[in-house]
Amino acid sequence: METFLQLIITGILVGSIYALVALGWTIIYKCSGVLNLAMGELTLLGAYVCLAFYTWGFPFPVALLATLVVGFVLGLLTERLFLRRMIGQPVLAVIMITAGLSFFFRAVVGFIWGTDTRVFTPQVFPTEPVRFGKMVLGQVYIWSFLAALVLLVIFVAFFQYSRWGLSMQATADDEMAALSLGVSAKRVYALAWAIAFMAAGVGGTLLGNINGLNISVGHLGILVLPAVVLGGLNSVPGAIVGGIVIGILQNLSGGYLEQLTPGGVKEIAPFVFMVIIMLFRPYGLWGWEKIERV
Amino acid sequence: MYLPSGVYHETYRADNAWWQTTFVRAKMALLVVLLLVGVPLAGNYPLSIANVIGYTILSALGVQLLIGYCGMITLGHAAFIAVGAYVTAIGMLRYGLPYSVSMVLGAILAGLWSVLFGLPSAKVKGFYLIMTTMAAQFVTVDFIITQYVSRVGGRGHYFSLPPGTITIGPWVIDTELKVYYLMICLVTLCTVGMANLLRTRVGRAWIAIRDNDIAAEMMGVNVVRYKLLAFFVAGVLGGIAGAFWISSLYVVSAEHFQFSWSIWIVGVILIGGVGSLHGVIFGSVFVTVLLEALKFAVIPLSDAFPALSTGFLYIKEGVFGLAIVLFLLYEPHGLAYRWQQFKNYFNLWPFAY
Repeated sequence: METFLQLIITGILVGSIYALVALGWTIIYKCSGVLNLAMGELTLLGAYVCLAFYTWGFPFPVALLATLVVGFVLGLLTERLFLRRMIGQPVLAVIMITAGLSFFFRAVVGFIWGTDTRVFTPQVFPTEPVRFGKMVLGQVYIWSFLAALVLLVIFVAFFQYSRWGLSMQATADDEMAALSLGVSAKRVYALAWAIAFMAAGVGGTLLGNINGLNISVGHLGILVLPAVVLGGLNSVPGAIVGGIVIGILQNLSGGYLEQLTPGGVKEIAPFVFMVIIMLFRPYGLWGWEKIERV
Repeated sequence: MYLPSGVYHETYRADNAWWQTTFVRAKMALLVVLLLVGVPLAGNYPLSIANVIGYTILSALGVQLLIGYCGMITLGHAAFIAVGAYVTAIGMLRYGLPYSVSMVLGAILAGLWSVLFGLPSAKVKGFYLIMTTMAAQFVTVDFIITQYVSRVGGRGHYFSLPPGTITIGPWVIDTELKVYYLMICLVTLCTVGMANLLRTRVGRAWIAIRDNDIAAEMMGVNVVRYKLLAFFVAGVLGGIAGAFWISSLYVVSAEHFQFSWSIWIVGVILIGGVGSLHGVIFGSVFVTVLLEALKFAVIPLSDAFPALSTGFLYIKEGVFGLAIVLFLLYEPHGLAYRWQQFKNYFNLWPFAY
């Protein structure tokens, strides 16, 4: 029972990071309809940028803020240079442009920082574990959870209450109506990419703090896909719940199924789960059900 | 289609022929001579590049069928190539079957495996289908092959193929040249087969599904059956690609069939042109030659910038990614369309009206 609880709680803590990245993915899809395959590379890029600032001697909060700024600028640039011109193109073209970008970003990261695992030195978070009864949790998990939670709250508040957030919601809801009411769709798309870059960057940094940072952190970007499918592609609460559920599921399968097989279950369990969901409920928890007509 | 004036067909057979004028027939004869005699004379290095091109063509054919002719985007094709490669290797090493028999076996099993993962296409499409093909990739390569199949018969050495393992009858395939001729045979067989298949009822049904599956269903096309058939044929082509590729490998390992290869071959058909068999060939040649040329561009610079040669793998990936992006932005119809434009221009040349 203790193991079970421990696995669930660690799953929630890690899942909150997935939720953050999934939120970024969903915002892009919701606002501009782009299915983004480059999310993993965005997390990589953000994580390495933060690492670079940290090793130059900035304190961690400052480095994180700087990462957010860099992510914001890169997001605007990516949208302006590549995605702006793909509006209205067929879905294959849009997906493959993000796939091309993912190759490109990964190559940039690999070329500059190499393949060795890097760690944040000195350690950002205290290393001694915290005990709750019989459960033992690393402090890094708790701090990551808190950071992810704060950012999630900030982003959701931004959508609910700020003028720009509301204009993003309006565009997602009905682009034509939003345009006719004076919302600038271009600005909304740019903002969506900027937010996705920022969320992914922070998510990558937090994950890098947990396991050390190497190019496989980019695998997270693929894990985000089961999360958003579970939540429904265009639902913000869905992305958050989906991320947390995928985190729990991954931990449970790692804890229980791993003994039955030679290994590797942890990586593929979310995908198997996703296929099952897709067969029975393709629009996820709170996604919009689409009706197709000829 | 363009025909010069003065060409008249008197039979349906002649009207449907692939090559209808003497000029085209002469051009094709020239191509055959070039491929069978010209390239082999060029030496071992060009031959090895040609083999990579052939492998890319074989891999991309199935993807072109699914994406370009049936409208189902797949990002997991490397899984079926892997199934073909592993089944062929196991058939030869464990059961002592001849190469050709295990190749057929590998192709059929890859096709069936592909149908298994194509089953969700009866219910989902678009983005969700992409997700299932990605799941096929991860389940097959990263789980079943890496964790189970690779460990058959002890770790590491079992799937090694010493030179001389692969034979067709008395013909031992152990040099680049022989691999090249095998490649030419397979590529011709598969391309001609595909081209003809696309002209039959089956191919037209696929194209109808691509253009609008709901409309196709109303016209009486059994959508599910044809979609699964497309998955089967694509899997078979992938299996042939895998079975061919082990002839130039010393060891079969899961690293050759990663997710990035799946995306790679989709990129190849995008660069070549979606929905065109020419596109598969142009894309494969273009991408492979471009990346080889890049190597030559980097070698003289690597003295001054040693980082260039150590990070060459990344440069290659980065250039490929950038090539996809630039093609989508500036040449969204791909090289095949440009080739068509080029031919049209010269059909009327020098009078452009």
